[in-house]
Amino acid sequence: MRNLFAFFRRFRVFLIFVILQVIALYSYFSYIAYPKSQFLTTTNSISGSLLSARNNVVKHFNLEANNKALQLENILLRRRLPESFMKIENETFKINDTIYEEQYDYIAGEIVNATLTRKNNYFTINLGSIQGIETQMGVFSDNGIVGRVFYVSEHYALVKSVLSENINIDVVIQPAGIKGILKWDGNNPNVGYISGISNDYKIKNGSQVITGSGSGVFPKGLPVGKVKKIETVEGKPLWDVHIDFSEDYRKLQNIYVVKNRLQKELEKIEFAIPSDEK
Amino acid sequence: MNLIIKHSVRFLILGLVQILLLNQLEIGLGIQAMVYPLFILLLPIDLGTIPLLIFAFVLGISIDAISNTFGLHASSLLFFAYCRPLFLKIFSPRDGYENIKEGDSYQMGFLWFLWVYGGLLTLHHFWFFYMEVFRFDEILFVLQKTVLSVPVSFLMAFILQILLVTKPR
Repeated sequence: MRNLFAFFRRFRVFLIFVILQVIALYSYFSYIAYPKSQFLTTTNSISGSLLSARNNVVKHFNLEANNKALQLENILLRRRLPESFMKIENETFKINDTIYEEQYDYIAGEIVNATLTRKNNYFTINLGSIQGIETQMGVFSDNGIVGRVFYVSEHYALVKSVLSENINIDVVIQPAGIKGILKWDGNNPNVGYISGISNDYKIKNGSQVITGSGSGVFPKGLPVGKVKKIETVEGKPLWDVHIDFSEDYRKLQNIYVVKNRLQKELEKIEFAIPSDEK
Repeated sequence: MNLIIKHSVRFLILGLVQILLLNQLEIGLGIQAMVYPLFILLLPIDLGTIPLLIFAFVLGISIDAISNTFGLHASSLLFFAYCRPLFLKIFSPRDGYENIKEGDSYQMGFLWFLWVYGGLLTLHHFWFFYMEVFRFDEILFVLQKTVLSVPVSFLMAFILQILLVTKPR
């Protein structure tokens, strides 16, 4: 027993180092897999309000560019209004409510904090459970997709951005409609890639990449980026397609969260697939 | 008492500079500047390793809580703090640290600061980038990030040190 105490006394510095190190690394690796509490994330109220205060100052720096982007979007939307079309035939713009049911709701918000140099980058947004945000909802901006909601607190939410290793958003390469899964290599915040596309497809550089509607997270057709270059995977009949993101995540401020009204229904119907056939 | 206030001010300034300024900075090539280890280096030289580790853990966790790294900064700063006594011993001046309170470049000279802080910072950055990836096949990318980030972090820490440490008259 005395030997044991002597041992602890002798190596107490090293033991304390190891214990604290284990706490830190355990919390890091378990958070990456699945978030448990909001203590160590920017969604807790202290860091949330600190970052909001910072954002209140910084957001004015890009005010002009942001206003311009919003104006352009307004013009685009205004163009689609029935009022901006000339009536050629009286029946043309009769909206029948039983044919169109609204599927997607959008909630506008702002990014209060973002990292870009990490392996997995998270954005903090100023929307929380009060505004009806839930985990796994899609987040996008005027120019492209941003990510998926990862963790929600009362007033803030953490978005796992497109700039993360395992983001896996399903996308479609136009015009051929080739389906693929978007990934990021952890290096350049402007470039993502789509892996594992069968090499019998012909893909041109510069083709548009948009979201697919398979998972119901994003409405179909949101811009993602453009094909930059195509590489063959060694030893397999597959292509890695590198894409240039259409959004510059370094300047991003205004975002929208997608709420799919039919998500529960979609999950329920897919849950009916027997688990051994998935 | 005076000492506590002085170090608390440094804790706050270095933490805030890291969170509000450097975490938002995107230089490219995977460069990530980190200045907060300066706080641990500037703690009194005769401070024991255990309080050093505890301070490192507190500062690291506070930065983690605001930059969504969930414990990565704490882990690498603990490593920094654990290695500090070793480096101080290796690079100790001929007659020891008898009349010297803190290891800044005014009291110890620039060369000492370069070796001790530069060395510790390299270990800290390597630990940080390696733990972040945690895969051996990306070791070259980790080394690239470390080699490019350390000079940037060192330069920024040196400038901040001029602001934080008053020259003894």
